[in-house]
Amino acid sequence: MFKFRVSQKRWLELLVTMTVKEVTARYKMAIFGFLWIFLNPLLQMLVLGFIFQFFVPIKTENYFEFLFPGLLAWNFFSYTVSKNTPMYVNERALIQKAKFPREAIVLSVVLANMFHFIMALTVFVLWEAVIVRELHWWRWWLLPGIVVWLTILTSGLSLLFSSLNVKWRDVNFGVQAMMPLWFYATPVVYSLDLLPYWMARWIYLNPMTAIMEMLRWAVLGMPIEWIPVGWSLFVTIILFGAGVLVFKKESPFFDDWI
Amino acid sequence: MKKKNDLAVKLTEVSKIYQLHHEKPTLMENIFGRNNNEKFVALDCINLEIIKGDKLGIIGSNGSGKTTLLKIISGIATPNKGKVQTWGKLVSLIDLNAGFHPELTGIENVYQNAMLLGMSRRETKSSMGEIISFADIGGFIDAPMYSYSAGMQLRLGFAVALAAKPEILVLDESVMVGDQNFRRKVKKKIVSFYKSGITVIMVSHWLGYLKENCRHILWLENGKVVGRGGFELLDKYERLKEKKDIHVEKG
Repeated sequence: MFKFRVSQKRWLELLVTMTVKEVTARYKMAIFGFLWIFLNPLLQMLVLGFIFQFFVPIKTENYFEFLFPGLLAWNFFSYTVSKNTPMYVNERALIQKAKFPREAIVLSVVLANMFHFIMALTVFVLWEAVIVRELHWWRWWLLPGIVVWLTILTSGLSLLFSSLNVKWRDVNFGVQAMMPLWFYATPVVYSLDLLPYWMARWIYLNPMTAIMEMLRWAVLGMPIEWIPVGWSLFVTIILFGAGVLVFKKESPFFDDWI
Repeated sequence: MKKKNDLAVKLTEVSKIYQLHHEKPTLMENIFGRNNNEKFVALDCINLEIIKGDKLGIIGSNGSGKTTLLKIISGIATPNKGKVQTWGKLVSLIDLNAGFHPELTGIENVYQNAMLLGMSRRETKSSMGEIISFADIGGFIDAPMYSYSAGMQLRLGFAVALAAKPEILVLDESVMVGDQNFRRKVKKKIVSFYKSGITVIMVSHWLGYLKENCRHILWLENGKVVGRGGFELLDKYERLKEKKDIHVEKG
């Protein structure tokens, strides 16, 4: 029992160290440092908000405000999964160095980006509270839940794609091709009431839909239908389970393929 | 049969089979059934017991499975068949500067590397001074890794591995490099390990080095153990190799 505890502690320490490395390595050379966390989604928001206002009959009142939280969540998800997919191939030097929990490599990227997501989301929520003054503070209790859900989904897909990519290198190309399509299959730049009713239901099979809707419900006070959220949850659990299973099966043999 | 407590490493009928690829494997090929199933047996049913404190040198021609055996013992690779057991903290030096991040400083890299080798944060902190002085890189420890020379990276990698206080040390031949001065330092350290009773498993083509640093020899050929014993195997191996060389030259 004691030994078990020690190894759990080691595991956690390793994960924390690698996460901190991931965070610091990214901003080491940048003058703006952590400002980039906000600058990137801000620029995206400005460009997308400007363009889509003209071309799509968006019915939301403040489109820029509508876009921002969704972009934060989408960026967390897509950056992390895209970065993690070729991770074990890129980090072959680490794999060949020692026996250590392989999941730490991928999970540290997830946690580092989760940290960025939480930072940016906190600033946005405070902004809403101070400047916009439309408080839905009693709905904020859902925010930690959304972060955990999104982190689980991102971890599952990261483990799944990165493990498969060790064996089959074209998985990375597949993920690269899939991400922009997935972006438009997720209500980031549009709201669900723009879709026909049948489609607005089916789109919940994409778990990112529930994340978007819940985020807007919690931060912007927009309405939500709770029953189809269960579909997203169901798909998330399946994807996470598949990721963990494939990783467990493949990770002892990573060295054979890289 | 030795008692379990006396053993550092035990391999029971271990086999490792690699699939050979001529190009990068792809999922598409797999779906459309174009994958070739050419197999390469790197280790073939190896039984091996290494007692605690032994210094074992592994010899064999190229492709005989030496590095694969080290990888299997270190747990970096997993055998397809058989069982691997090790007792005690194992540190492997198969590729020394592996695992350094070019953008991070020496200190940051030491932390990450040490923890990959199984040290805790506190242990790493307390042995930092020792690591820096052994690696002999002076003020560079605060500089990013990309400014290090290959030799400096190598020394730092070695210093971290030694600070991890291994009970079983696995060394590949690629790590027996570095400048004269550093090699002497490493040798001194290995001699002190010799006295402290840790188990050392090393691969080398440099037979003189093995003669100086090992107690027993294991000879691998085509993934099988050809012989195990003392230095008489080294002489036999050398003679056979010479014969082969002559044969090749004649051919």
